[in-house]
Amino acid sequence: MGDVIVWSGWIGGVAIGSYMLIQYWYTGHMLGVSKTYYNPLSTFSSLEIFSSGEFASFNNWRLWFAIGIPLGSALAAITSPDYQWHINLSMGEMYNSVLPQEMWLRVLVLFCGGIIMGYGARLAGGCTSGHVISGVSMLNLPSILAGTLFFIGGLLSVQILFLFFSG
Amino acid sequence: MKYRFIFFGMAFGFFLSRAGATTFDFYAKLFLFEDLQLLWVILSAVAVGIIGLRLLKYFNVKAIVSGVELSFDSKTMEKGLIVGSLLFGLGWGLTGTCPGSAAAMLGEGKIMALPTGFGILFGTYLYARQKHIPEK
Repeated sequence: MGDVIVWSGWIGGVAIGSYMLIQYWYTGHMLGVSKTYYNPLSTFSSLEIFSSGEFASFNNWRLWFAIGIPLGSALAAITSPDYQWHINLSMGEMYNSVLPQEMWLRVLVLFCGGIIMGYGARLAGGCTSGHVISGVSMLNLPSILAGTLFFIGGLLSVQILFLFFSG
Repeated sequence: MKYRFIFFGMAFGFFLSRAGATTFDFYAKLFLFEDLQLLWVILSAVAVGIIGLRLLKYFNVKAIVSGVELSFDSKTMEKGLIVGSLLFGLGWGLTGTCPGSAAAMLGEGKIMALPTGFGILFGTYLYARQKHIPEK
């Protein structure tokens, strides 16, 4: 079974860059994903930050944006002739081979990876979309620094992972 | 208006998928320098973004829906930016996904994005707790 259709990198990038511009032009909201995670948290936690400012109403633009993302990717998946849409546990050849084979341990590792990513995004003030796609496009210095450090962090974890845990 | 964002989200999710951002192994290949797919995605997105935002600014464009002047104030330098960015990057490479792509992977049935997604939620919660509850 093949994977989803993947365009040439530069075409994908032009699509995402143009998407960001159109979203901003049309709605006045800059592209950014990581804060969207406040929405589900507001249903579990009474911390004020999750339900103040633009999150004062649960029914806010970020909620609808977040609902749209998996719908759009599902559409991309079912229109990929080689990809059979089904719920699957695969992470691709490389991650499958390098992450723990015991499922509970793999889930734990990914959960911890998610924690540092979520915590780090808030500490840094954005993630790949907000800092890199939007922030670097604005030639914003903190975002350029953040993007560079994202890459250094990714480089470190992947190099270490594949150095010590590949076959 | 806000309901329209479901279509924006759909377009973004669709493009993330077509760009390869929902394929775990592209992250490993990027940081092993085996396949720079996602680097080209980011660089060309930013190139389009830089030119486009300059044009919007130059022509003093207003947001179509609200008519408000578009702001080009940039994000501020957060105190934790350096540590936070490094942590984010470590998690990015380890999990082979990011906050937006994880949601998009779930739409493709790639369920191993779920533990990462719950982790992101929990990390966001930890930050908020630490930051917004005064220490005793």
